[in-house]
Amino acid sequence: MSKSLQQKNTYYLLIWLPLVLLIGSMVFYILMSKHAHHMAEEQLELKQKNIWNALMANREGVASHITGEYDLVKGNLVRSDLLYKQRDTAIYYPASKDWIAFKVLTEQHLLKDQPYQLTTYISSKEITHLIIKVFIAEIFVFLLLLIAIIIINRKSSTLLWRPFYATMRAVNEYDITKSPSLPLPQQTGIGEFDQLNQVITRLLGNVTQAYSNQKQFVENASHELQTPLAIIRSKLDLLINTPHLTEETADLLADITEANDHLSQMNRNLLLLTKIDNNQFPDQSTINVSHILEKLLAYYQDYYDGSLPRIQKSIQPHISLKANASLLEILLTNLIHNAFVHNIPNGYIDIRLDRHELIIENTGHPIEGETDWLFERFKKGREESKTTGLGLSLVKRICLIYRFQLKYHYSENIHRITVTFEPA
Amino acid sequence: MKLLIIEDERSLLASIVQYFNQEKFLCETAGSYHEGIRKIEDFQYDCIILDINLPGGSGLQLLKYLRENKNKDGVIIISARDSLDDRIAGLDIGADDYLTKPFHLSELNARVRALIRRKYAEGSSILEMGVLKVDLPSRTVISANQPLSLSKIEYNLLLFLMTNKNRVVSRQAIAEHIHDGPSEQVPSFDFVYSHIKNLKRKLKEKGCHEIIHTVYGLGYKLSL
Repeated sequence: MSKSLQQKNTYYLLIWLPLVLLIGSMVFYILMSKHAHHMAEEQLELKQKNIWNALMANREGVASHITGEYDLVKGNLVRSDLLYKQRDTAIYYPASKDWIAFKVLTEQHLLKDQPYQLTTYISSKEITHLIIKVFIAEIFVFLLLLIAIIIINRKSSTLLWRPFYATMRAVNEYDITKSPSLPLPQQTGIGEFDQLNQVITRLLGNVTQAYSNQKQFVENASHELQTPLAIIRSKLDLLINTPHLTEETADLLADITEANDHLSQMNRNLLLLTKIDNNQFPDQSTINVSHILEKLLAYYQDYYDGSLPRIQKSIQPHISLKANASLLEILLTNLIHNAFVHNIPNGYIDIRLDRHELIIENTGHPIEGETDWLFERFKKGREESKTTGLGLSLVKRICLIYRFQLKYHYSENIHRITVTFEPA
Repeated sequence: MKLLIIEDERSLLASIVQYFNQEKFLCETAGSYHEGIRKIEDFQYDCIILDINLPGGSGLQLLKYLRENKNKDGVIIISARDSLDDRIAGLDIGADDYLTKPFHLSELNARVRALIRRKYAEGSSILEMGVLKVDLPSRTVISANQPLSLSKIEYNLLLFLMTNKNRVVSRQAIAEHIHDGPSEQVPSFDFVYSHIKNLKRKLKEKGCHEIIHTVYGLGYKLSL
């Protein structure tokens, strides 16, 4: 499953940004504590110097020991390898019942050839506290940054991609059979999208051109075919009336006549499809569907005398639709025609019409596998030469024009076509 | 009976002429708009069969010219265009009938005869053949003085065969003729057989034997 661009963007940001911020804060922590400790060391050395100077200046009046500040001892109490090096220690404060961490520096001084050791103290508690507080503040700032980046990113990508989504919507709704052109804005404010729209416009231009050439070709071809078909038909009419026909020639002529008529029928339907595609049925009026259906049924009942399937009907009277009269009649005729022609002996046809839908159900020959292709041109349920294979594609085209929903259902030799429409 | 056929497709023209000559019509032909104009100015015709796409002008223009000159000759348009609009346009200008190509010659014959009957009340309105009498205005059939009750389809079928009497009429031509739904969907001609069978049975019951003959798998022929 593909995610949306925005989701993907946020997703990446959420993976990588915290990682970057984590590394950043670690580096920040290390640098900060290093600097803080360095500062403490310098302070400690300065303190050593200051206190020694103060002691030298005022030798009698100053205490030789202040807890947590300094300690002056005569002699070599501290091991010489610990001298001049900063060490950590802790001092117990009975008042607060607490050990406090200190940094300690002991230096040896000579006064009148006597060795003195001065140890100065500086609390490391404050520095640690400072580091923690700054670090917490920094995490807080980083989190704020993370949220801000994600929000800004989402907002700006929504804005940036707006022309893209507009284009996508337009292309999605585009139907080549309805309108020849798709107006896309050539100035979106973003170069890439301007380019995209230009490319799409050019592409659609080519496609539309090819499509209309194709349509033109089919229409011209169908028209041109009419004349030779008419000639063949007229010659056949003359031929079957010549005297002394043998049975053999008669059979041949019968086959030719049949094939020629089939060809004419196919050509007529093809022409009709092209005309529908070319919007040559624009006039609309309110049409009484119930009336047409009853008329058609009566006609077919008359016509298919003898081998008639059982007919059940529940046709609500005065159901009207707004459509082109010819197209609606073609639609209904084809559906009814199919139900009769593809029926089986002792079968039935069930026709139901109400304000919302028309259901035509009939028994018929089994169909194997998928049934979606039935509505495609030149597709037939069975290998039969008596149908043109264009009837259902006519039905489909007409339903598409009026936005009728067309559903086909097949199970166990029963075919059901449902046309759902909005009443006029 | 005099016919003028204006059609630029020579081969089709020849077929039509041949067919109507066999029907004892006198046929004049024209292959272009101007030739057509000349012929209608020179003579009177019982019926003009007119193609729409002609070299030199449109058949509709010719028809307009004809009607503007108060010429009341019957006109049947034969055209490859079969949309309702074309049909209406043709009939509006004053055509009496409109037939779409490709058509069966038997159908054209039936149309021409119907037009002539309508237009000139040619003879009587009763079609007679042997013991068979068809009264056209009331659409009733009498066989050997007994009324015959036929369905609408059977009546049309009988009339079609009688109009094309002594000719083989193909099953396809019959199917198209008796079909009165939209021209886009002609029902299969398998059912012609059962209508013929019923018609034959009804005729036989009323004493009219063996006038409809089956011609192999081709079609049917009505003859005495």
